[in-house]
Amino acid sequence: MFYQTKLRSITLIAALIFLACYASFGSYFAREIVVEIIILAILAISLDLCAGFGGMVSLCHGAMMGVAAYGFAIMSAKLGWPLFPSALIGLFAAVVFSGLVGWVTSRTNGIFFIMATLAFGQMAYTFFFKSRWLGGDDGFGGISRFDLSMIGLETNDSLVFTYIGLVILLLAYGLTAIVMRSGFGRTLSGIHVNEDRMKALGVNTAAHRAKAMAFSGFIAGLAGIIAAQHTLYISPELLIWTTSGEALIVVILGGLGTLVGPIIGAILLVLMKHEISNYTDYWHAFIGLVLIFTVLAGGRGVFGQIEYWFNKLTQKHQSTTKPHGDDHA
Amino acid sequence: MDLSFWILQFLNAMQYSMLLFLLSIGLTVIFGLLHFVNLAHASLYMMGAYIGISVAAMTGSFWAAFFLAPMFVTLIGAVLYFTLIDRMRTAGPMNQVLVTFGLIFVFLDLVRMGWGDIALGLDGPASLSGTTRLLGVDYPAYRLFIIALGLGVMATMWLVLARTQIGAMIRASVENTNMAAALGINVSKLFFLVFCFGCALAGLAGVAAAPILSATTTMGITILIPTLIVVVIGGLGSLEGAIVGSVIIGFMETFGAVMIPSFSAVLTYALLAVVLIWRPQGLIPARG
Amino acid sequence: MVTTMLEVKSLSKDFGGLQVIHDLSLSVTPGERRVILGPNGAGKTTLFHLLAGTLKPSNGEIFLDGQPISTYDAVKRARLGIARSYQKNNLFETLTIRENLMLAAAAALGKSTHMFKDTSKHADIRQRIDEIAEQVFLEDQLDQTVATASYGNRRQLEVGLALATRPKLLLMDEPTSGVGPNMIDRFHRLLEQLPRDITVLIIEHDMDLAFGVADLITVLNFGEKVFEGTPTDTRGNATVRDIYLGTGGDHA
Repeated sequence: MFYQTKLRSITLIAALIFLACYASFGSYFAREIVVEIIILAILAISLDLCAGFGGMVSLCHGAMMGVAAYGFAIMSAKLGWPLFPSALIGLFAAVVFSGLVGWVTSRTNGIFFIMATLAFGQMAYTFFFKSRWLGGDDGFGGISRFDLSMIGLETNDSLVFTYIGLVILLLAYGLTAIVMRSGFGRTLSGIHVNEDRMKALGVNTAAHRAKAMAFSGFIAGLAGIIAAQHTLYISPELLIWTTSGEALIVVILGGLGTLVGPIIGAILLVLMKHEISNYTDYWHAFIGLVLIFTVLAGGRGVFGQIEYWFNKLTQKHQSTTKPHGDDHA
Repeated sequence: MDLSFWILQFLNAMQYSMLLFLLSIGLTVIFGLLHFVNLAHASLYMMGAYIGISVAAMTGSFWAAFFLAPMFVTLIGAVLYFTLIDRMRTAGPMNQVLVTFGLIFVFLDLVRMGWGDIALGLDGPASLSGTTRLLGVDYPAYRLFIIALGLGVMATMWLVLARTQIGAMIRASVENTNMAAALGINVSKLFFLVFCFGCALAGLAGVAAAPILSATTTMGITILIPTLIVVVIGGLGSLEGAIVGSVIIGFMETFGAVMIPSFSAVLTYALLAVVLIWRPQGLIPARG
Repeated sequence: MVTTMLEVKSLSKDFGGLQVIHDLSLSVTPGERRVILGPNGAGKTTLFHLLAGTLKPSNGEIFLDGQPISTYDAVKRARLGIARSYQKNNLFETLTIRENLMLAAAAALGKSTHMFKDTSKHADIRQRIDEIAEQVFLEDQLDQTVATASYGNRRQLEVGLALATRPKLLLMDEPTSGVGPNMIDRFHRLLEQLPRDITVLIIEHDMDLAFGVADLITVLNFGEKVFEGTPTDTRGNATVRDIYLGTGGDHA
């Protein structure tokens, strides 16, 4: 179950400040990296809420993000709608797509859920890949960024865009954290732990899981809207299953079921990728080995491991000072 | 479009189905027995192709490559088994997916380091270089060889599983591992043998496909998704399921591409969705 | 006017030809404590499955508070007020006892779909957790993780989860299964203190406890009702004695 602990709050704020500094004091290239981190972090938070809390290891989160991005791009660039309503339509499309996938897969578990989501994600990918109107595998451009000049923000400035991205990351985290603390989120954790007992308590677990996927689609959709506005261009690459696999790597690397972990994981993965590609072409192998090592080391991930040690330390401390401390955060 | 066109398509579909069969049979039996989904199975297929190309270059013989490449791939599989697979068996599907996803990355770069990024071809054996007249069409002899190879493996496996003692052991262990262990079957040895055998078939499929498709760094990931679909549609762990699944997907993709090109790609996924909703255990489930 | 909380009419269940429950009729009045007795394999747990909706009957009808519920699934029946505690612990193992009760309370109070308010900030949920913790004697263990709690505490929580939904009808499947004599006393007290607006069906092997709390006892054998009466009548009944002596005391 989710608790917004002090350690998590501090780590979150530290991560956001680090990203803001990295963008402010770095070059244009540094800002590109930060935006890349933001998109991946939001997508990973969305996946963490499904996989970490709901036990639903989805391989269609890339598709959920891509559906929002395409929805936004089609409405704004192809049909000439204003940007904000187009973004809402994109988010709505992602919610509907994710909810449908969640509904259809709500009775499958384990490897069957993984395979089913993989298939639905690839179905969406193939659909856009084959669509000539949408440019097929080349995708299409002509997308513009939100016009925020009335509040004095020039979104075409890379630094301003990065800051807006950071604000959206914080909002995505905050919203997910609030929902995970609510009856809805806690019940989702309960379903993960013991679905049968949850049913016996009168919870329609299939519908609950589908709703969780739909909400996750909304968060993933935020990443999709940023991704489309970032490059002003869109291609089916966003939806391919390896994008979802990358998000899963980020979640595991940072810490499953922690919500902060995915942000840490995204920072680590993207920075590693760029640092290593300065020295060698073979960063894939490195990431692969890091992933294997993370799983073999217990699968807690970097932040998860730190939290584990921190909790052990404070518990030891508590047990010597107040024997029956009920601060179970 | 005349009859010979359809016969040609039929043979193409058969050839693709057999390739899918060689890959999916290993994947499905490994799942049935070890409860392990090895996403890196298709990477072993890729390794089979590249190792085959190197062996052929060194020995100058396709047949040397054809027999040695699967052996090298089996060796890789054995190393994987003892370093990773065996200890991941009880780690749950998510960790298995993650570790084997990591392996895909590792194999991808191993190939790029060893052989580079460009596509490499492999000449088929001279004896199978021409075409053969079959059912009124001229069809490349080598492709017929692949069809025959697939059918041969299929028949052999059928016989082994149905008639031999090791086949009975495998079936018993798929049915109920604990029971099999209680009956005195050395389950861990059986797991290892079956895993190696699956790897050998993946290597065989790779080296057999190389003369037709040529080896690329993306060949593994390209065939992974159809292979997984075959396995899930057929029923995880089921030999009959792998046969039926390979044929369905092989024919659907081949005929779909010529009959309804704009829709064919989505068709496979739609079929998978329907199967998952109506028969989540697959068309021919391994158990009961 | 409804005078029965639970009405079962000629209920049958067979598994591929094997009759597990045969033509069983039951009538339980509101607030009653009904104990179900019977040797192993008599169909007691199957009866609970049929009542809770986790198994579908082959024949017969079930009414809760006058309402036919035979066609409803387990979720819907739970919402109508049937709760169940299990013979084998069926808990949220990785969560704390407080969290376990929180989930049950949130479900019962219709707050498991609330998306924004922190569950632990709902006053009614907190109140419910405290009440139930007191009822099942777990006030001091609330922040212990279930997996590390003692077996007895877990048995108490098993009942607590069912109680937290404030059911009309509580089905308790061997609440004292596997616990020691001290714990049995504790369950005895727990049962005596349960409010009378809850109707309780108990499968119980501990005879002292069974005869102590029961208003009426129904005895099953081979899926059929062989006797029904007060504890005193049951004690003196020859058929009941035969069944228990005949099966070699497997309840010991």
